[in-house]
Amino acid sequence: MTTSTAGRFVGQSVKRREDPRLLTGHGRYVDDVVLPGMLHCTFVRSDVARGRIIRVDTEAAAALDGVTAVLTAADLNPHAGNMQPTLLLTTPGAPLRPLADGDVRFVGEPIVLIVASSRYVAEDAADLVEVEIDSDPAVIDVEHALDDGVPIVHPELGTNLGAEMVFPISPELEAVLAGDNVVRRIFRQHRHTPVPMETRGVVVEYEPSVGELHAWMSTQNPHEAKQAMSRVTGVPAHLVRVEGHDVGGGFGQKFFTPREEMTVALAARRLGRTLKWIEDRRENLIASNHARADVAECTFALDGDGRLLGTYIDHIEDAGAFPVGATGGAGALVGLLFTGPYKCALASLRTRSVWTNTCGRGAYRGPWMFETVAREQMVDAAARAMGMDPLDWRRRNVIPTAELPYTLPTGLPLDMVSPSETLEQAAEIIGYDAFRSEQRRLFAEEGRLVGIGLGLYVEPSTGMMDPMGTETAVVRVNPNGQVTVALGTGAHGQGIETTMAQVVAEELGIDYEDVTIVQGDSAVTAYGRGTGGSGTAVIAGNSCRNACAVVRAKAIEIAAHLMEAAPDDLEIADAQIAVRGTPTRSVAWTEVARIAHLETARLPEGMEVGLEATATFKAPPFSWSNACHACTVEIDRATGVVSILRYVVSEDCGVMINPMIVEGQVAGGVVQGIGGTLYEHFVYDDDGNPLTTTFMDYLLPTTTEVPTIEYGHVETPSPTPGGHKGMGEGGAIGSPPAIFNAVADALALVGATIDRTPLTPDTILGAITTDA
Amino acid sequence: MKPAPFEYHAPETIHEVCGLLAEHGDEAKVLAGGQSLVPMLALRLTRFEHLVDVNRVAALSGFGRENGTLVVRACTRQRVMERDAAIAAAVPLLAQATPLIGHFQIRNRGTVGGSLAHADPASEYPAVAVALGAELELASPGGAVRRLTADDFFVGTWTTAAEPDELLVAARFPVWPARSGFAIEEVARRHGDFALAGVACAITDGRAGIALFGVGSTPVRARDAEEAWLAGAGAAEVAESAVRDLDPPADVHATASTRTRIARHLVERAVTRAQEGQRVAG
Ligand SMILES: Cc1cc2nc3c(=O)[nH]c(=O)nc-3n(C[C@H](O)[C@H](O)[C@H](O)COP(=O)(O)OP(=O)(O)OC[C@H]3O[C@@H](n4cnc5c(N)ncnc54)[C@H](O)[C@@H]3O)c2cc1C
Repeated sequence: MTTSTAGRFVGQSVKRREDPRLLTGHGRYVDDVVLPGMLHCTFVRSDVARGRIIRVDTEAAAALDGVTAVLTAADLNPHAGNMQPTLLLTTPGAPLRPLADGDVRFVGEPIVLIVASSRYVAEDAADLVEVEIDSDPAVIDVEHALDDGVPIVHPELGTNLGAEMVFPISPELEAVLAGDNVVRRIFRQHRHTPVPMETRGVVVEYEPSVGELHAWMSTQNPHEAKQAMSRVTGVPAHLVRVEGHDVGGGFGQKFFTPREEMTVALAARRLGRTLKWIEDRRENLIASNHARADVAECTFALDGDGRLLGTYIDHIEDAGAFPVGATGGAGALVGLLFTGPYKCALASLRTRSVWTNTCGRGAYRGPWMFETVAREQMVDAAARAMGMDPLDWRRRNVIPTAELPYTLPTGLPLDMVSPSETLEQAAEIIGYDAFRSEQRRLFAEEGRLVGIGLGLYVEPSTGMMDPMGTETAVVRVNPNGQVTVALGTGAHGQGIETTMAQVVAEELGIDYEDVTIVQGDSAVTAYGRGTGGSGTAVIAGNSCRNACAVVRAKAIEIAAHLMEAAPDDLEIADAQIAVRGTPTRSVAWTEVARIAHLETARLPEGMEVGLEATATFKAPPFSWSNACHACTVEIDRATGVVSILRYVVSEDCGVMINPMIVEGQVAGGVVQGIGGTLYEHFVYDDDGNPLTTTFMDYLLPTTTEVPTIEYGHVETPSPTPGGHKGMGEGGAIGSPPAIFNAVADALALVGATIDRTPLTPDTILGAITTDA
Repeated sequence: MKPAPFEYHAPETIHEVCGLLAEHGDEAKVLAGGQSLVPMLALRLTRFEHLVDVNRVAALSGFGRENGTLVVRACTRQRVMERDAAIAAAVPLLAQATPLIGHFQIRNRGTVGGSLAHADPASEYPAVAVALGAELELASPGGAVRRLTADDFFVGTWTTAAEPDELLVAARFPVWPARSGFAIEEVARRHGDFALAGVACAITDGRAGIALFGVGSTPVRARDAEEAWLAGAGAAEVAESAVRDLDPPADVHATASTRTRIARHLVERAVTRAQEGQRVAG
């Protein structure tokens, strides 16, 4: 579809220019990088969750034919600089280290790095390394990790509490929490992991005589990787270059620079050799980063009509041992956003980030999405407790558009959103009322369990945290008029080469085919924020716009000079700069570009040669997007299997640059939500041994598990120049509670309840105990 | 995820295969479709000094009718079971079972003999073989051939009665009378996964076969349930009997009790469907 605000390019479903190469196998990923003299790395990892390293014997491995080096903590750790990301350099976090030293803190922790002529030989050598570990009881259950007598994950820190945020409970809130209609539930969300199709990987070249470190890496953020590699190796940042090329998915996992990549960089620097490390799937599952392991006790206080008076959430997130980025936590936002798109005057919270002897937590598409999970599941629980339909409850409590801007009880200012419109649109598309009657009929006549669920949320993309709120674009017009745009982004599936070209072509009034986006290379782009946090459309998009404005003004000035017209009378369209209303008086864009570079005597007096501009955009503290997910499910009472019948998303991401890409992004997130709610579960046993270490056991949704997704769009422009909003993460935020609520709705027919995911046959059959 | 070094052999006759297996004993392993063996090698869950690739042995591929028996040679691809009308006509249960195995890419490579020899307790073919009363034909180094019933062949998880130097040459499926009914039912976490629980069953005049899979260390033959079925018990009763003594494994995908509940329901569904098939056939 095209939208009311659609331009020539912005708003059009232009086909992704990345796809021909990606779909025909011509993408260039890290493993495609092959350099002369390159050696291959593998890690020997701990198979114990917590214990003391008694002995590491590397002699036999080092003696194996083809092995160049077998490195332990003693070889690397003393040389390592700060391993925290730029954003969090001064935030207290886990004591990061390249290789385990003295003890191990989760299964999968790297102990030894092997460098050999091939990955095969490296793995043969890994088999020859003897590691002896005295295992100690491990901290696995996050809900008891703060109890007395529980071992400490990081002895240096003396506590398993990584971070805590507490808001006081006001007397007013205390009063409503003691009222007549108080609903309290505990919800648990299970651990899962992002699973990019391309695992992590890096090739690092370090030439001592030159002093330059050059890395090719699967990253969402080449500039951050450059800074991180500089810090860890001590090579000055201006001598470090990081290239990304094509990146086969990241979902947050590749936003910061992980431990293994830094360790390989450090090893390359120490050895003066070119090293490649390509993570295998088992490593990716057990040791990259995990996410979503949350539990919260939630309280809603309501008036007699079901209106929300006050909320309290007591949240714990499992940070694992070495989270990617300080505590890895997003708990603060879970607490701050808990009331979401509903009117509520009073709220308080406690949120804690807790260390365990498990794989570290890290960003995963919508890192704080548990606020939506917990709230939306609470909404249905509260509605049921009050004898209300969940849709009616939402209608009664949602913040009406007329009451915007609205200050959330935690102080965040909410504006330019449309939760009630998306709620109504989703309900309309899915045929909410008709489904309700059909549900009653199917249950009464055939005993079938079908249910409907909603997930309504608002999502802030924030510009508050430097350097994540800023992007710089360099818009460079070549002498032939074609335009090269350099961005500090690290596209990993978003179609940035397409959407940003749409924006630039639109702004300059030239053809989309004449714009090329260069990104993913720290050496040829200005320092930037990378790609993540749903920020590209707003932040990179507007930096492009700002740079285009400068280029455009200059082009018009040149044209005005050539035509002896007033600049204010000129406009650019279809690559012609013409006098408004007199299209016959015009100069071609290409001619202006040529003159700017090659016939500079014809430029206005004193004008600088060339046609290019560098501009930044600093995002406002908040730009909110919102959506409503609606889905219907059927539960097989005999087998506990859940099938999704229909899935609808009504979203508002402001002005869409490319509706097809918006829908693709939503679809990807929804699929991850389906996986996360029904299939994907990273399981540890009580001793911290991972039990789901291959795709046989860690189950991703496939095409056969995913229904057709139906879309509705509402377009409320954001206050930023392009009117766009962040939308990359939302699909994964709204879907888990929508599915959970649909299943809970179906189970309610037989009086069964659920309070945790994943919704496996075990969970469902366990809930339907009376049905046995 | 790279396998340890091994020596690779590509013989072309059964005789050569048997010779290599005799020579290298338990340091050798047969490589058929590779869909189970290769991942295990890559994860270094197992390692062998010698891999004996049987894909070039012409005599191990194809199928044919011998009187009342369908003989499927070991290296015949699973997709042939799925697609060839002659299979569906002779042993309908094979054709019904095959689409439940993994995904089509796996069935294009995976072999019938590989699945039987691998003896995963959640596999479809072993249960089909037990339910129908199939026999497995094994060749040993001296050239001797022996036949084992499916009941005797499967002895434990990934374990069969075949000796390390024996080659599975063929599976012999009896062709049941025209007036028979068959059904296979399973529940897997996702399409293509190994089943949490499943059942293959067959019924004809005077004979019934019920074998469950995914619920024990081998296919579980439900003899009491077979008798009850023959004696005219209803599907629910047959199902109850089939799961009475089950002791299914528990893992991250399902508890033992979930597997039992699912199995009982599937037996009921499969028995009903097989009976209906028999009625239509008759
Ligand atoms: C993702 C995935 C999903 C799958 N899902 C299912 C499923 O749902 N149901 C199912 O049944 N299977 C499933 N499989 C397994 C698949 O059916 C395999 O093809 C089969 O188990 C092994 O057959 P193969 O020909 O690939 O044997 P290989 O992997 O080559 O060998 C398997 C084992 O059998 C031995 N072997 C093979 N042939 C002979 C022979 N002629 N004589 C003696 N020993 C022999 C080998 O030495 C080895 O130990 C799945 C596999 C994958 C990768």
